Amino acid sequence: MTHHVSYNDIKVGDEMPSYTSQPITRTHIVRYAGCSGDFNPLHHDNTFTNMIGMPRIISHGMLVMGITGEAITQWIPNKYLRKFSVRFAGMTEPVDLDDHENTKARATLTVTGKVTEKYEETGEKRIKCDITVADALGGVKITGSFVAALP
Amino acid sequence: MADKSKLGMEFPPYTYVVEKGKIAEFAMCVAQKDSKADVNQIHVDSAAAKKEGYKDIIITPTMSTCFSLWAGGGLGDLLGVLGIDLARLLHGEEEYEYFGEINPGDTMTGKTKVVQMYDKEKKNQPGKFMEFTVLETEIRNQRGELVLKSRTTTVER
Repeated sequence: MTHHVSYNDIKVGDEMPSYTSQPITRTHIVRYAGCSGDFNPLHHDNTFTNMIGMPRIISHGMLVMGITGEAITQWIPNKYLRKFSVRFAGMTEPVDLDDHENTKARATLTVTGKVTEKYEETGEKRIKCDITVADALGGVKITGSFVAALP
Repeated sequence: MADKSKLGMEFPPYTYVVEKGKIAEFAMCVAQKDSKADVNQIHVDSAAAKKEGYKDIIITPTMSTCFSLWAGGGLGDLLGVLGIDLARLLHGEEEYEYFGEINPGDTMTGKTKVVQMYDKEKKNQPGKFMEFTVLETEIRNQRGELVLKSRTTTVER
């Protein structure tokens, strides 16, 4: 995978290429639980969510941030990333496999972003890009930003 | 309810050796792929990573959050010590600053400190407060180099 992003080619106001996830399934969430070691039952056990008055399990916020990181690094190579920060604004519920058509929108996340600053810091040419992650119903999951140093 | 006397408290450092297989697994997970062949090969294959200018395979941007979970104890224990009510807990914010590469075989030493504790009145419920706790973690490698800093904000609703 070769990237050609350079500081001079980017202008304030430019949009980062938008990235859309696959509809998040319970299997994606269980994979994240096993992979991350975060076994809070909120993220895999429906008998627990029922007990606390929630209809179904929700994704780890950190899975959504991880998907956001994937979106960013498809545009900006990993080695240029200097800072990545998010605020978690909403919960993400998985798609129901027995009602895929009606539930996939809530589980399909799109990452968008816009370059807000270009500046020099510690001898590097840096950009700041604001990001938003929302589902296909418009529900915002994450707002945040990243900073990258570009050649 | 978070115990405000714990502000400034430093937790005992954790140590974790970064595993190659775990890096690939994590990359597959956040890319929603079932095969290592389908993710960016800088997370899988040493030669591919070197070709892109890295010293070796590198981790994905959010993987460091799990080092403490894998090292044992994890966030649950920390939060318990701080008196935070897990039933009211939300993950509010997460931030990373990157200073250097993290490669397979590196030994990470993470030190976590409570840097802020504050309350915010709920918008729709005057007199009711949400409690915020901010944890900062510095992660160094086996050469003592600072490679990553993270800030985790937890909220008790």
